[in-house]
Amino acid sequence: MQKTYIGLLGAALLCALPTTSWAQGKAAAETNEKTPAAAETPTDGDGAEATADAPSESTGAEGAEDSLGDICKIDPEACPNLDFDKEAKRPLVEEVYAVQQRFVVKKGRFEVNPYWGLTLNDQFVGHPGPGLGLNYYVSEALAIGVNGNYYEPLNIDSKFNAQVRRAARVAVPLTEYQWSGALNFSYVPAQGKFAGFQDFIFHYDAYVVGGVGAISTRPIPIIDPDNRNFKFSTKLAFNAGIGLRIYLSRWFAAVLEVRDYTFNDQLENLEVASTPEAQRDESTWLGDKSLTWNVQAQAGVSFFLPPTFEYQLPK
Amino acid sequence: MRTHNTYKQAKRALVGLGVAVSLTVGAASAQAQEILLTGPLAGARAVRKLKLYRQGRFEIAPSASFTLLDEYQRTIFLGARLNYNVADWLALGVWGATGSVIQGPTHLSKQIQDVNSQRSTLPPDSLQRRLVANNLGPNFEDQIAGVDWVASPQLTAVPFRGKLALFQGIVLDSDLYLFGGPAFVGLKEREDCESGCNNSFNMTSRMAIAPTFGLGFSFYVNDWSGVGFEWRGMPYSWNTGGFDVAGGGPKGETPDNKVNADDRQFKFNQMLSVSYNIYLPTLPLISE
Repeated sequence: MQKTYIGLLGAALLCALPTTSWAQGKAAAETNEKTPAAAETPTDGDGAEATADAPSESTGAEGAEDSLGDICKIDPEACPNLDFDKEAKRPLVEEVYAVQQRFVVKKGRFEVNPYWGLTLNDQFVGHPGPGLGLNYYVSEALAIGVNGNYYEPLNIDSKFNAQVRRAARVAVPLTEYQWSGALNFSYVPAQGKFAGFQDFIFHYDAYVVGGVGAISTRPIPIIDPDNRNFKFSTKLAFNAGIGLRIYLSRWFAAVLEVRDYTFNDQLENLEVASTPEAQRDESTWLGDKSLTWNVQAQAGVSFFLPPTFEYQLPK
Repeated sequence: MRTHNTYKQAKRALVGLGVAVSLTVGAASAQAQEILLTGPLAGARAVRKLKLYRQGRFEIAPSASFTLLDEYQRTIFLGARLNYNVADWLALGVWGATGSVIQGPTHLSKQIQDVNSQRSTLPPDSLQRRLVANNLGPNFEDQIAGVDWVASPQLTAVPFRGKLALFQGIVLDSDLYLFGGPAFVGLKEREDCESGCNNSFNMTSRMAIAPTFGLGFSFYVNDWSGVGFEWRGMPYSWNTGGFDVAGGGPKGETPDNKVNADDRQFKFNQMLSVSYNIYLPTLPLISE
């Protein structure tokens, strides 16, 4: 009868232990998984007694010391030599991050970012166009990448220019763009999440980006369009911007960005040469240079590759 | 021996039963996670114990607004937004601002005035002066249109509420809101003239009524204040340069030697605002 009670106790232990392991760390779970096996070890017909004795022998500091002693016997070099009392008194500096278990891990992944760009600060010529960015995240916060814009067939000489020329007889030098490309560094200092309509949650991050590259531009002939026909030329261009990335899944995001592309632009000469020969001379066509700040809004999407990832860090 | 075997069989049965029960318990634990989606928490709020920064509170937000894509004149509006938040997601209020305090000409305006000044040294009957006589007065910067004031009753919806972590250290509560309403815009424009426009460069005031809408972010610094960033669109037609540019020709797209409503061009006026938001009473409610 006593053995029956002990057997039932063993069964209850079997039920309880795996349940407990769900809430414990991996090491603890492994320890618990071994306990039922220990209950089966007696084969001498008196297993119940052996099972009943086992917990008292394998719990507490003595059991731990015994285990360590076994390790020390097998491999003395691997024998831990720690003063546990001293270790317990060490100050615990636990670093808690504002966002634990990120929704998207970016480190080691590529980001492919097609977008559409719109001019924000040029009331004379619009420069809309498609663009493509490619980033590689060397850490969660830092990425290195390239991006390019294509403008050529889409420059818009606004109606406003003609009105100013007609009303005030003042010509403003205009420029159209062909393409641009840059090497960039991105830094992601901010991330957050929003609850939408108290119903669903989406994550986002904000980043700053900066880089250096080139842009190909040419003047639109306004002053002497009969003689002047400009070719595109490449200029050194710097860029800096800020962006917002809204994650729709762990590999897909919507991206909004405002970026300023700065370059030293070559403008059309406002003066027209006095002789027809000189007017046809290309060396008379170009005038002043002007530092240009092309502020561009970019709206697009991002694909993160590979599309899946595993957490490798505790955060 | 038989007894011993029977005992062994019973023991194995017990162990098997225990394993089965533990597997069942384990499976039950896994199913409990499924129940989170369909059980008592189904349909629950995404966030509990949420600070309701807006609900039942007044918002007073002094603001500065910076105009974008200006043709002839830049303006910084100084004003304030006053809202009453009937719910955490809905507010009724008004935004008002004056634009007459801080205004400045663009580079284009300066270029035009430079040329205009040079032209003024030419004889009055010279071709160069006659061609612009209806459009340019002695000082171009004096005929540029401006916005003196704006008042806009508006509805604000706050569909998104969240938090932002900066440098993995600073956490700010935030929300994203949308707003819209009619705007009453006090404009200062070149006065209409039907004839003799070359001698009429006086300015006059009128009120335009336009839709206004936009979106903004609020970042809460503490329980009773926050910082706001806002984009606002306010499209309407106005004659920004005081020029005669339309009204003539079959399509009305050429000058007609008159300055009037035909010369008002539709502009998608935009501005960016920065505000400091104060919420009263100073303590927010907490949701369930």
